[in-house]
Amino acid sequence: MHGAGKFDLIRKELPGVLTTLGLVGALTAVLFAFVWEIGLAHGSVVYLVPVVIAATRWGIVSAIVAAICGVLASAFFFYEPLYSFRIKDPQEVIDLILFIFVAVVVSQLATRLKRQLEMARQREIDLRDLYAFSRRLAVAFDVSDIHAAIEDHLASVMQRNVVLFPSAREASNSNGRRASVTVPERVLAEVVEVASGHRDTAAGAMVTAASGEIWLVRAVSPKSPEFGVIAINLGLESKEHSNELRIRVDAVLADATATLERLGVAHAISEARMRSQTDQLREALIGSVSHELRTPLASILGAATVLSAAPMLQKERKLTALVHDVRDEAERLNNDIQNLLDATRISSDGVKPHVEWADPADIINSAVERCRHRLVDRRLAVDLPSDLPLIHVDPVLVQQALIQIFDNAVKYSVSGSRIAIDASTRDGRLIVSVTDQGAGLTIAEKSQIWDRFARGERHAATTSGSGLGLWIANAFIAANDGKVSAVSEGPGLGTTVNIELPITQAAIPQLESDADE
Amino acid sequence: MPMSEPSPIVLVVDDEIQIRRFLRTGFELNGFVVHEAGNGAEAIRSATLRPIDLVIADLGLPDMDGSEVVERIRSWSSVPIIVLSVRSNEAEKVRLLELGADDYVVKPFGMAELLARVRVALRRQMRAVSGEPTVKAGPLTIDLAARAVMLNEKRLTLTPKEYRLLQVLAQHAGNVVTHQHLLKEVWGSIHVHDTHYLRIFVRKLRQKIEPHPDSPNILVTELGVGYRLVQSGSEIDAPAWPNSTPAKTEI
Repeated sequence: MHGAGKFDLIRKELPGVLTTLGLVGALTAVLFAFVWEIGLAHGSVVYLVPVVIAATRWGIVSAIVAAICGVLASAFFFYEPLYSFRIKDPQEVIDLILFIFVAVVVSQLATRLKRQLEMARQREIDLRDLYAFSRRLAVAFDVSDIHAAIEDHLASVMQRNVVLFPSAREASNSNGRRASVTVPERVLAEVVEVASGHRDTAAGAMVTAASGEIWLVRAVSPKSPEFGVIAINLGLESKEHSNELRIRVDAVLADATATLERLGVAHAISEARMRSQTDQLREALIGSVSHELRTPLASILGAATVLSAAPMLQKERKLTALVHDVRDEAERLNNDIQNLLDATRISSDGVKPHVEWADPADIINSAVERCRHRLVDRRLAVDLPSDLPLIHVDPVLVQQALIQIFDNAVKYSVSGSRIAIDASTRDGRLIVSVTDQGAGLTIAEKSQIWDRFARGERHAATTSGSGLGLWIANAFIAANDGKVSAVSEGPGLGTTVNIELPITQAAIPQLESDADE
Repeated sequence: MPMSEPSPIVLVVDDEIQIRRFLRTGFELNGFVVHEAGNGAEAIRSATLRPIDLVIADLGLPDMDGSEVVERIRSWSSVPIIVLSVRSNEAEKVRLLELGADDYVVKPFGMAELLARVRVALRRQMRAVSGEPTVKAGPLTIDLAARAVMLNEKRLTLTPKEYRLLQVLAQHAGNVVTHQHLLKEVWGSIHVHDTHYLRIFVRKLRQKIEPHPDSPNILVTELGVGYRLVQSGSEIDAPAWPNSTPAKTEI
């Protein structure tokens, strides 16, 4: 290590030392001219100037070179006998010794000042990095955001290409390509090893890629595997210099890990990860459970309807009432299951509408028909103009959205109240309004009703429901490029739900006349 | 029972024993004779060996898809077939109807709904056998032989296309007729996707044949599938419960 180290040192100091020599030379020339012209004696103190400059600019080595050269130049040019390094006057010898002492002290002080300045500047950069990092962490939405923030932070601190792999799986799936950096295969293999916990050295491993570049692979934190594994491209450095870099990496990572721990990032990561897994699991569970539940439900409902019509039971009014309960409750359960299935469909793979030209009156009428028994004790007022334009939508989705809105209107209004269904066109849009005389909406409720699992607090105790209905309606209408909105004068003053759907008039192909035949 | 025939024979094909049991009870209470089959192969064997008047087939069978049962039976028999499905996917319904099923009922369903569909299918089969030329739907009478349409005994004037549309629906009275089938029969096979033709003509036709064109109950829409001419006397137009189960699409 010594040969190379010394060479490096010389290479680093040489420009400073050479410039110092130049400075001393120039100063000597100026002083010499002064002495020659004015007859000034004792110029040695002036040589403190290059010493201080060298010490602040290039460090202690250059400063000492400046001091020595200054002494030699004074002795040679300005002290008797001239043009010789010998000195006659003992007073001048003391002057020079004093000069050397002052030069060394000044250069020491200046160098220390310089180092402090550099440290302060570095600390400022680090702080700025850290501040940006913590700000990014604060707004990080999910695990991948957090990892990207860690990656960028390390890259800016290390000034090297840094790739962070959150897990072994990610490393083996990534094909080594991440954004702008390509990670060699050998490095990737090591990342997988480290991420799977097969390496227990905290210091990590050096891997020399086929291109000769040296990569350092290590866990970001030996304590918290959530932070992942990083691969840092140290470049084409010598083994020795790499080791120095590695020590710096350790220091930076220790710092970064401490920051991450302070910010509770590990907790945030594992929580975010668990949340997404829980979501997936929940969707899968709801999907399969709902399917499983529907099969026995078909038998229950079928059997109940057979019983309710059986002649032997007709005279037994109490038993018939029970059978009707079984039937009605099974039907309600079926609707709930259907809502859950719709919800899983919306959140797992989105709604894919099967669009066709449809008559809005057909959609509204069949939705009313489907809800007829639920609407039976409401005063229903359907007012549809006979010249409604055809719309290009998935009629079944729009119908189901309407059914949900009718259901909601019935649920929050009293028996005998009026439910009005109107349709009109405005600004190239079809507007279907469902107006009830029910519970109405508070301002807070107005903003919440379209949310998933939204349940009005005023009704949570008295009205059953999953809070999925209007969310499903909204999703189904949105899938048809429409939108839903709710208007209410206030609590107890009824609600109007408006469905807006686009009318693409120009797109309707011209119809051949019936008389042409 | 509107049926004049003694005890129609129905073949119930479903792998769920509980479904077969309630169907058997429900049908027997209404004067049917019931045969059962637990899988597709058994159903096809049963349909070939014994005379049957109607097939109720579940779509999810352990040995083959219900649609295959429909296709195989339809290849040699014109017996009415009604399909039971948990999946209420509209495209699937259309496919089954094109394969030769007469109608479908979405699980879960009520016995009354199924019986109504069964009666419609049996009546249609009977009309086909006897050559009965008139179809009645509420106040509407369609005389297929004389090409005459009467509303409350008053003769209506229809354009040729309007009559053709009504004729196709009347030939399948009570059953759903798919958009594609109607478009092909009325406008020709190059127009099978021009649903807007159908929408506009149905609107015109309803103005003439429906007492309340805004809430039609003779020529009714089956959303995403087709149209149905509702026959008088059938229970489809006034069921207390069956329509309450919304037919929803799922994956």
